[in-house]
Amino acid sequence: MDRKYITRRETMALLGSAAAVGMASGPAFGQAEPPKPASIVVNHSGGSMGTAMRKAFFATYEKKYGIRVVETSPADFGKLRAMVDAKNVEWDITEIGGQDAIRATKLDLIEKIDEKIVDRSKYPEKARSPSVFASSVYTTIIGYRTDVFKGGTHPKSWADWWDVKKFPGARSMRNHPTDNLEFALIADGVPKDKVYPIDFDRAFKKLDQIKPHVTVWWSTGQQPAQLLLDKEVVLATGWNGRFYDIIKKGAPVEIEWNEGALKQGSFVIPKGAKNPYWANKMLHEMSVPQQQAIYASELGYPGLNLESLNFVDAKVKPYLPTLYVEKQFWIDDAWYAENGAKAQELWNAWMLKKA
Amino acid sequence: MAPSAELRLESVFRRFGEVRALDGVSLAVESGELLTILGPSGSGKTTLLKVVAGFEKPDGGRVLVDGQDITSLPPAKRDIGMVFQNYALFPHLTVRQNVAFPLEMRNVARPEIDKRVGETLALVELAGYDERLPRQLSGGQQQRVALARAIVFNPRLLLLDEPFGALDRKLRETMQLEVRRLQRRLALTTIFITHDQEEALVLSDRIAVMNKGTIQQIATTTEIYERPASGFVADFVGESNIFYGTAGADGVVTLAGGRTLNVARKVPAGKNVGVLVRPERFSNTAINAFEGEVIEAVYLGSSFKIRLKTADDFAVIVRLPARGKLPAVGGRVSVGIEPDEIHVFDV
Amino acid sequence: MSSTSKGFLPAIPALVLLGVFFLYPVIRMLGFSIETGNLDWYAKALGEGLYLQVFWNTFQIAVFVTFFCLLLGYPLGFLIATTTPFWATMGFIFVLLPLWTSVLVRTYAWMVLLGRNGVFNRMLIDAGIVADPLPLLHNLTGVLIGMVHVLLPYMVLPVYGAVKRLDPSIVAAAQGLGASSWRIFWRIYLPLTLNGIFAGSVIVFVLSLGFYITPALLGGGRVMMIAVLIEQQVRETLNWQFAAALSAVLLGFTLAVYALAQRAMRPEAAR
Repeated sequence: MDRKYITRRETMALLGSAAAVGMASGPAFGQAEPPKPASIVVNHSGGSMGTAMRKAFFATYEKKYGIRVVETSPADFGKLRAMVDAKNVEWDITEIGGQDAIRATKLDLIEKIDEKIVDRSKYPEKARSPSVFASSVYTTIIGYRTDVFKGGTHPKSWADWWDVKKFPGARSMRNHPTDNLEFALIADGVPKDKVYPIDFDRAFKKLDQIKPHVTVWWSTGQQPAQLLLDKEVVLATGWNGRFYDIIKKGAPVEIEWNEGALKQGSFVIPKGAKNPYWANKMLHEMSVPQQQAIYASELGYPGLNLESLNFVDAKVKPYLPTLYVEKQFWIDDAWYAENGAKAQELWNAWMLKKA
Repeated sequence: MAPSAELRLESVFRRFGEVRALDGVSLAVESGELLTILGPSGSGKTTLLKVVAGFEKPDGGRVLVDGQDITSLPPAKRDIGMVFQNYALFPHLTVRQNVAFPLEMRNVARPEIDKRVGETLALVELAGYDERLPRQLSGGQQQRVALARAIVFNPRLLLLDEPFGALDRKLRETMQLEVRRLQRRLALTTIFITHDQEEALVLSDRIAVMNKGTIQQIATTTEIYERPASGFVADFVGESNIFYGTAGADGVVTLAGGRTLNVARKVPAGKNVGVLVRPERFSNTAINAFEGEVIEAVYLGSSFKIRLKTADDFAVIVRLPARGKLPAVGGRVSVGIEPDEIHVFDV
Repeated sequence: MSSTSKGFLPAIPALVLLGVFFLYPVIRMLGFSIETGNLDWYAKALGEGLYLQVFWNTFQIAVFVTFFCLLLGYPLGFLIATTTPFWATMGFIFVLLPLWTSVLVRTYAWMVLLGRNGVFNRMLIDAGIVADPLPLLHNLTGVLIGMVHVLLPYMVLPVYGAVKRLDPSIVAAAQGLGASSWRIFWRIYLPLTLNGIFAGSVIVFVLSLGFYITPALLGGGRVMMIAVLIEQQVRETLNWQFAAALSAVLLGFTLAVYALAQRAMRPEAAR
């Protein structure tokens, strides 16, 4: 880790907060709260996500509390574990993947969320985990070129996706077992609520059929959007926000939401974080529906505060996955927490196999 | 062995930006002759050698070997052997491979190569060193390899670029004589480059003295020493006392301060001339006397070297046979010089 | 002897630095790999077909990359070392430019150039050279192009250095002795720059073994190198013991290659 870099940031943060303290010291707070740090550190995936978070959450947080929000990236479970193990936790909040959140809970790497500070009363029951804050919803769905598949002639299900005669053209899928195993089973006729536990043999056998038609197995989220844009492929699975981004900019690309794989974006407070109180304050900021609406409009990833949709522009709404939850299915993070390693190994072996 | 070639340069020019490295050089080297190009650094002698070898293209003029114009021939096609200042041996090849190299380049048959390499190594007294690498040899041995490599293919010309500079004095003298002996024996037309006038006198048939891109004088060694054509040559070759003055009637030259010298050469009256007196030509004659205080006196084994200062402010170097006692510094000495020992040159 | 011990003192900060930031992490890593008290993770790394296959792929790709870097880098280094100062500077700028650009940017640039509808294929099709786009991307070809581009400077620089160190009078001597340019190259330049070739090849080969981003992006997922699997074990599967074992095997292999190269180079290095 580049210690010098952090020090410089901390110095900058200190300077910023000196000004902020001057501003905020006016009104006295009734409630006893821990002293304000100069800054808190929020770790996330970076890129456009950081920009959107700053716009939706960090800016108001900084203004409200006079605490500087320092951003780091990317989200890295290995690093989280190393930090907690070393008792030197640099992040106050970090983004975390779905199955990682489950493992982190098991490994006791994360703090409980303070319900007194973070108001999740408007969240769906399922999304109120005691230590994992559900920040947003995203889904892996089909993106397609509208100049190739005109007037609704695009594949509308995973069975269609597998039907290369009816829907010819180069495809791109993620170089990862998650999503693809499920899509294969659904294409093979498994109802989407009966996908788990995954039958590896059946899934890989089905994947064998599509393998020759997949030109690119993508590894970064930006790739599928770019591949469609460059017409390198005409069909790609990808995260809805990435497609939304190029559609917003006028690309001849559309989204088919049917049978998408829903996932939840999560944030947690690492065990031993330096400013847990102020970290909870940040999570609260991220639960405010108006702020979530801003975030959703930016990225296409809606928050889980059910009221937030009321604050979203009508033009944006059709691109938010929360609207299509019924047609889709949730990725089972618990299953992956158990079987992820094996799935990964089988996937690697399958990728190595000569077609 | 075929008679060695003769070389002719016809008004060769080469400039580098503003510097005229060769400013119209013409010379002829006879078959079997060893011509030394002598000059200070920057005089153009190395450029001259490069033009002959083909590493530099002249801006004007021609280079002819046996009447054939080779001016635009690449080095590889010239058949000229060259010994470089630092020998430029191939560090990764053995002595034998180094010497065989020019023969291999000429596609000579293997048995013939072996025979000639053996003979040439014997000639330079390196038989038995065949399998050594250059770095395993002494400086003198490396030089012999370089020489063997340069002559093994019976080149038309041999070029030696200050080859003795890196050797100590004793070895250098041995090598000088050896090279000279070999060159005579093979009757190989050779151009030898040096800035060391002593070396030039030892080795050469003729010497060409170069300065500022031109040849000042080209003549036999005695001619250069005894009758230099200019003040530069007189000064550059050997120890010298050089005075300038005006010729009068009856072989008298008047120097600065009014001192007169009687000389043997008849010069038109009123002409400005230079006068050269070699230090060892002074004697105890009363003619053309220089009397003065001893500023410096050095014993040199075979001679005394004395620096005199005359009353009319002439500084004179004198060499006397080392007989008797070395004159004391501060003492007075008087020497003279016969008129026919004085060389008068035009300025 | 005393000069060696004197020369050792200024090296101490560097050694401490190496010890703290290099040796210690490596020892920690080796510790992880045997944390379970046995060599099971090594048995897995060296016993299972998947991992052996990926090690073998990695080795093959490293050999290919080294070969192509040599093929391009030797003439390039040679030209830069022997051309005029102006062209040498230009050459250096072009060779070193990729070193100053992020790997990700370079890789995306290749995607734009090599894709089915990329600049390259469009030019070829417009010129009527090919009818269908060539598969230059999302396969081994793409990976090799990307890796060679990134690693080329590591070949060019040692070759450049070796050619520059060569005494120009040696080349002149060979010319004067009747050697053609071709023979000068084979008999003089090539043997006398073997050091540079060896050094460049070892650096490129060793760096190739650890490549991660380029194969993942330009290989379309089909080209699997060991660093990708190690990264999966560290970040996704969180099996650090196995990741450490895989890393240790890779490290051992790299050191073996290095030792072999050192031995091969020794007679030359004595020069």
